[in-house]
Amino acid sequence: MVDGNGQIRPHWRALIGAVGGLGKPQLDERAGRLARAAEDEGVASLLPGITSTETGWRCDPIPLPITAREFAALEAGLTQRARLLEAVLADIYGPQHLLKEGLLPAALVFANPHFLRPGRHATNPPHRPMLHLAGMDVIRCPDGIWRVVSDRTAMVSGLGYALENRRLMNQAMAEALVVVKPRALSSFFELWQESLQRLAPHGRTAPAVALLSPGHMQPHWFEHVVLGREISAALVEAGDLTVRGGGLYLKTLAGLQQVDVLLNRAEAAQLDPMEFPAAQATAGVPGLLDAARHGALTVLNAPGAGLAESPALMAFLPALCRRLLGEELLLESLETHWLSTPGARDAVAASGDDWLLRPATDGAAGALPMPGIEAAARPGNLAATRWPIGSQAPSFGRKGLAPMPVMLRLFAISDGEDWHALPGGFARALEADHPVSGRLPQYGLSKDVWVLAEDEAPLRGPGPQALPPLPIRRSAGALPSRVADNLFWLGRYVERLDRAARLIRAVLARLRRGSALPHESAEVLALARCLRDAGLIGEEAMPTLAGATGLVGALGRAASPEGAVGQLQSRVAGLAGMVRDRLTADMHAAFTHALRKARAAGEAAPGGLDMLSRAMVANMRFATVLAGVAAENMVRGGAWLFLDLGRRVERGQSVLAEIEVLLKVPPARVEPGLKLILELCDSVITYRSRYLAVVQPAPVLDLVLADPSNPRGLAFQLAAIQTALTEVSGDAEDDLAEEAATLTRQADALVHDVLGAHDQPVAAAALPPRLTAMAETLRALSDAMTRRYFALLPPARALGLDEATEPADVLP
Amino acid sequence: MMYWVRHVTAYSYADPVDLSSHLLHLKPRALPGQRVIQARIRALPAPDHVTETHDHFGNAATRLFIARPHMHFEVHAEALVEVDLPTPPPAETTLPWEEVARLAVEGTGDCALAAEFSFGSAHAPVLAAATEFARPSFPPGRPILAALVDLNNRIMREFTFQAGVTSISTPVAEVLRIRRGVCQDFTHLMLSALRGLGLPARYVSGYIRTRPPPGQERRRGADQSHAWVGAWIGPDHGWVDLDPTNSLIVKEEHVVLAHGRDFQDISPVRGVILGGGQHRLSVSVDLEPEGGN
Repeated sequence: MVDGNGQIRPHWRALIGAVGGLGKPQLDERAGRLARAAEDEGVASLLPGITSTETGWRCDPIPLPITAREFAALEAGLTQRARLLEAVLADIYGPQHLLKEGLLPAALVFANPHFLRPGRHATNPPHRPMLHLAGMDVIRCPDGIWRVVSDRTAMVSGLGYALENRRLMNQAMAEALVVVKPRALSSFFELWQESLQRLAPHGRTAPAVALLSPGHMQPHWFEHVVLGREISAALVEAGDLTVRGGGLYLKTLAGLQQVDVLLNRAEAAQLDPMEFPAAQATAGVPGLLDAARHGALTVLNAPGAGLAESPALMAFLPALCRRLLGEELLLESLETHWLSTPGARDAVAASGDDWLLRPATDGAAGALPMPGIEAAARPGNLAATRWPIGSQAPSFGRKGLAPMPVMLRLFAISDGEDWHALPGGFARALEADHPVSGRLPQYGLSKDVWVLAEDEAPLRGPGPQALPPLPIRRSAGALPSRVADNLFWLGRYVERLDRAARLIRAVLARLRRGSALPHESAEVLALARCLRDAGLIGEEAMPTLAGATGLVGALGRAASPEGAVGQLQSRVAGLAGMVRDRLTADMHAAFTHALRKARAAGEAAPGGLDMLSRAMVANMRFATVLAGVAAENMVRGGAWLFLDLGRRVERGQSVLAEIEVLLKVPPARVEPGLKLILELCDSVITYRSRYLAVVQPAPVLDLVLADPSNPRGLAFQLAAIQTALTEVSGDAEDDLAEEAATLTRQADALVHDVLGAHDQPVAAAALPPRLTAMAETLRALSDAMTRRYFALLPPARALGLDEATEPADVLP
Repeated sequence: MMYWVRHVTAYSYADPVDLSSHLLHLKPRALPGQRVIQARIRALPAPDHVTETHDHFGNAATRLFIARPHMHFEVHAEALVEVDLPTPPPAETTLPWEEVARLAVEGTGDCALAAEFSFGSAHAPVLAAATEFARPSFPPGRPILAALVDLNNRIMREFTFQAGVTSISTPVAEVLRIRRGVCQDFTHLMLSALRGLGLPARYVSGYIRTRPPPGQERRRGADQSHAWVGAWIGPDHGWVDLDPTNSLIVKEEHVVLAHGRDFQDISPVRGVILGGGQHRLSVSVDLEPEGGN
């Protein structure tokens, strides 16, 4: 912020005008706004602490400003350096001139775990560009010059967070953005999308782009969701992909769909178990590399591009730049020595400075600066980087406003000919005791980067390629089977949570009245049976003649985050995280708020009957929010269909299960059971409006089993299942849909039989076996759906690695 | 010598395999001293997709993809090869071994490329115990080929050839401890030993000619895959092949399939399958001198 003479750098002045007026309370308030906005956007998971995908990144309300001139210099250096690294890679994975000429030590290539031999062929040069997206971590040295700490060329993380920071700042710091007017990021992403058109295999118009993520359990899942959405790439995991006939395909509900460009965010050495014997057979896609090798698929960055991240390589870049580009290196690295070079250790030891000591070939390893003497004494294959006293920027961290050293990550993309820099970046405060690493940490204080515009010159690329008009599509075929599976289970778990809350609330309503009337005790017992059968309480909690004291404690435990209800919440949050890319920001925000409320209420639940009751209401609200948001926001295509199917199947099963439990009584006690059935199915008012106060078996059972207009009854669920299955299969005579129709007929017959019975209560009490059979049919239907639509292929296995070559006979 | 090589690999599975992908290193590579007159690979069931490339090491690599359920999988590789590897220079005239190690670090051109094989790999790592084992053969200043031949002999003398006590995943350290094993083990051991001294050494897969016991007919399919060591003796003479299992310098009794850092780079048949359950494997190899024995 301050230059060498102690003067405030000019570009901070405008910002100070805009931000400086804010005192600590306002900054606190802005920081709070940013945190809430981050929550709504889904930077964090639905429930804190339930998945490892959570990022602890906070966005600093104070951005990092960079002047237009300063950025122009950075941009020129960044794009040149990216061009250089790409050329280095193309040589190493091609003719290897640099090795033969002695410009690169053999050890840095051949003993480098990131030199992926399946990415090189002896006879053909590699497909170019090998590098498509490059990132560089730079730090401003005391002389005011930005220098590179790490090059990122494999999985270049941070771009999604940079984009997200700008979105958050737009919400929380709008007035400052209006005054300062930093350059917009959007043109970079448009350019990126266009570049993918160019880089697709020859002749593929409107290429299908997929972003391969290691999955929702990985730390950068959120970033993958953001990027996939921003550049219209399908977010996929390795299990979604298969190679057929030499091409890569995505497994969707509508069959295999070819992928033309794969943006790889997975470990390159895990991409293809056929090519990498050390890879797990279950990871990756066998044949993927071969598809890329033969030009049927473009993989970006190319597998093996991670080699350019090697810290020791930085020592050789100036000479490589002269050799390959005929230019001087514009964006320098921090002074770096490969300690295997003769004399390097002595030079490091002799300097009085601090050095960052990193494994020579591992750019992701973390290190702390240490004195030169100490660094030079370390054994091993290491690179030493002189650690500067970095420039500090005012930051609003946990301890308030303070200057902190800042690391800036810059990004550039290639369209195959030119490189373009992001007019912005991802800046982060360096904490004194945190290792410096090319791998982004999972938490910390980040800053939006404002490149100040002198004139509003947008980022210019070669101009968009003309796209053929897209055919109109209304089907949902492209839904990956795995996503459909997750949505189905999300629907089921939300319904299960809702059901559990309704049951518990029904018990609570009676316990709170505290009356010991026999019919109330009987109701509590009947409901407790439902709870027990649903796995919400254990046998030991069942009410006895002595009372229901055990039950209250058990319900409190069930409602807590560790209890059965809490676990359902966690499952819901986990599944919602997995389908994050199918939810709009509004939907995600609505889910998050409602579920967090339910979670908080659950934490207080053991505190008493009132608290418990409130917790159950919060769970039901969450389920209602999800249903409402889904109904109003989701297109009635594949994603919605499977979410709804899950819900309907689950509700159908629980209606059947509860009616069965409540009717498993002598005929004389059928009537109280019927009342409970109406209550649990939220159908009391409807019943009363139809039949007034007279409770009889056939009308009740009609309302909850056979009336297709009651959304809490069985027939409604079956009709919805039938419609959805017909739609998904596209077959008017789909056999699974037919199963649902059969169940509907059975429900009709059942009510008809009770209605025609001489003694209705006797007939009703005889129903449980038939209900059990129907529940069994519904379960089988659900299983059949799972097999048809979600069944993952059996896990892959590797052969030929454990079979020893047999010995040869010894020659006579 | 001219040989017919026939190498059949057959898998049978308890359950159908839905999808299989195989990477083969089964076509002998052309070399100075090895002419490949013809080489072909046939698979059953007929693959849906086949590709042929050369890998990083310059070996022929064949990839087969089958996307139909199958209970059996067979690969027949057949080649006609003429072998007469160049005779190495007299051992005493070769460079001192330290000089070879120095060239691998500092040299340019071919030296820099040979250096690839001086670093440890998954199955032939640099290992103190292996380096120590090599030391007695490598006194200061000894010509490299003399030292190599000595090490080659010592492995045959000091290790017992015994099948079934090791597998491909047996580490070199374990082989050193139990002092027995098969050709792969001895090869990996010798690679580790040489790499520990900074000397480039590569894994060679292939076949060796076997002779029937006196008075008996040659049995077809009784031959086996074999492995030995390629050692670099400097830029002038390049690579010399040594067979530690038989204490031989390779000349014309061997047929080379492929070069790599170790077995893992060039396993003859490697695959990834979906399904299949339990599997049974049978391998038969025939190395027949052209025109009969």
